[in-house]
Amino acid sequence: MIVVDILSDALFAALAGVGFGAISDPPMRAFRFIAVLAAVGHACRYCLMTYAGIDISTASFIGALSIGFGALWLGKSARTPMTVLYIPALLPMIPGKYAYNMVFSQIMFLQNLGNAVERTRYMEMFFSNAMVTCTVVFMLAVGATLPMFIFPARAASLTRVKY
Amino acid sequence: MEEKARLSDVGEFISEYSAHMMGCGVHTSRVIRSARRIGVAYGYDVKISVFQRTIILTLFDRETHEHFNDVVEVQPLPISFEHNARLSALSWKAFDEHLPLSAVKEEYQRVLESPAIHPFFVLMMVGIANASFCRLFGGDWLSMGIVFSSTVCGMFLRQKMTGAGINNYIVFVVSAFIASLCASASLIFDTTSETAITTSVLFLVPGVPLINGVIDILEGHVMTGVSRLVQAGLLIICIAIGLSFTLLLVKDSLL
Amino acid sequence: METFWKTIASYNSSTWICQIVIVLVAVILTVWLLRKRSRAIVVGMKLFLIALYVWIALVYYYVYCSERSYNSIMVIFWLVLAVSWLWDMVSGYTTFERDGRYTKLALVLLCMPFLYPVASILRGMSFPAITSPVMPCSVVVFTIGLQLMFSRKVNLFIVLLLCHWSMIGLSKTLFYNIPEDYIMTMASVPAVYLFVRDYFLSGIHTMTKPQVKYMRWLLAALCVGVCLILVWTLYLEFARGIL
Repeated sequence: MIVVDILSDALFAALAGVGFGAISDPPMRAFRFIAVLAAVGHACRYCLMTYAGIDISTASFIGALSIGFGALWLGKSARTPMTVLYIPALLPMIPGKYAYNMVFSQIMFLQNLGNAVERTRYMEMFFSNAMVTCTVVFMLAVGATLPMFIFPARAASLTRVKY
Repeated sequence: MEEKARLSDVGEFISEYSAHMMGCGVHTSRVIRSARRIGVAYGYDVKISVFQRTIILTLFDRETHEHFNDVVEVQPLPISFEHNARLSALSWKAFDEHLPLSAVKEEYQRVLESPAIHPFFVLMMVGIANASFCRLFGGDWLSMGIVFSSTVCGMFLRQKMTGAGINNYIVFVVSAFIASLCASASLIFDTTSETAITTSVLFLVPGVPLINGVIDILEGHVMTGVSRLVQAGLLIICIAIGLSFTLLLVKDSLL
Repeated sequence: METFWKTIASYNSSTWICQIVIVLVAVILTVWLLRKRSRAIVVGMKLFLIALYVWIALVYYYVYCSERSYNSIMVIFWLVLAVSWLWDMVSGYTTFERDGRYTKLALVLLCMPFLYPVASILRGMSFPAITSPVMPCSVVVFTIGLQLMFSRKVNLFIVLLLCHWSMIGLSKTLFYNIPEDYIMTMASVPAVYLFVRDYFLSGIHTMTKPQVKYMRWLLAALCVGVCLILVWTLYLEFARGIL
């Protein structure tokens, strides 16, 4: 059952990655690499959060790191820069729920200005959600970019034709 | 060795090339690297300074001590990874194979004229992506279906409005409103409607400027990085505004 | 469920005269448009559609369905549709030009609003608690039929919104046991297939990315998928009826 959960998570992450990638007009050959990376990254984060009990930002960082290294490795066969592969692959990990709660609590805060208890509750909700959203997005970007700094020469020459 | 390409020809090409790359969503250090590489391929030093809206560059010929200066405006183009990949590859090709400038220009034109991804394909893929996203957030099958068709409505509106040349911020507010309004129809049913509303607007998230901004800042191009993040932030605020119109309508049932 | 039929009954019993007038106007305008298209009649049709959508939003949803929860969402939804038609009228987007390719399917769709009450009566219900030709679902079918009849240039945004609506209608049948809505969903799937194919995927002679044939397969696969879901829900419905 655990395997089915992980596989379905990976499948839907792959679909989401490919679909969001399509907005940014990637080369057709890049789609399968994006799908693989999105599936691996999201499944990795899912496992860490569900079975290892790691918090969302650390898990996202590790997931993004695996996407980054994957993009560095696969970029050579896709003949694309790293960003082309990892930006769409990261998008399924965007913490939409927290971002939504942020907007929601902001609206409710403004609706409850007169009520001190409710106001404080929504204020607290807004800040905790904002903190999670911003941290996770930053961690995603940093995690996926890190391989680029560790292997700058390889990252810069992914589109070079070998001969 | 054949005659060296003229300084002004190379300079004009590089300024157009780098402005195009910057416009279609390539992070700053790659733009600078690729521009320099082309310059080196023709025996010139390229000194380049990149801002969000303009690029200032100087080409310098070490032998004759001649300079070429140019300031180009960066036009906001639709984001294109295809151009990113092929133009980067072009710079390596020019560098490795010592192509004549005319051949490089020809290839550049070919890249620009190649068809962009078809809007219908984008529409369907985005719908599927958002539905899968809904699933990842724990939505059930019914919510997935509703998110799919809401996303298709919102995305179609976005494509049409962008095509009509309407201001980008207005496009984002209206599309977010329509998509979330369509998704909020799921409240009628006993389903995961909050998840549906949440995910219905996520197709608008400007992922490319967001991540490019962080990359730029980490690589020391703080100015362009911050301006990209500010731009992405404004778009996210627009999504939030569009979403909040819907939430104000339905907030009582979401508590 | 109870509220649903109660609101419909009160709507029908108090507005049946207006409904008859609306149906007559619709029939006259459609026939006129079919026989002789002119600028004035096109604008007239659009004005009628705007009025019809505003009627659905305000009279049907706002006044008579106020007992149902979330009626405000529906009011806004139909007002958005009315605004889309207003934009269409101002910019002159839809031309209502005959194409002649889908006349049969279009005729079937245009007759369907009259099938709704028949279907209700066949199910053993009686006036006023029956579905009538001036209700959201019938209006959706009418609009799709109209656009299919004059399919040279259609407003795809409106079609997509209506398609979303019929999707909700389908789910509603599952939850509230309203089999009439099957008519609508059944009809809208082939129509949307034709619209989308004509809008995006016909008359392409240049190279596209990806190739046109793959996009056709994708569209066909999606439509077949929706049809399968339809058949499956229909089966569930029957199974429930037998048990």
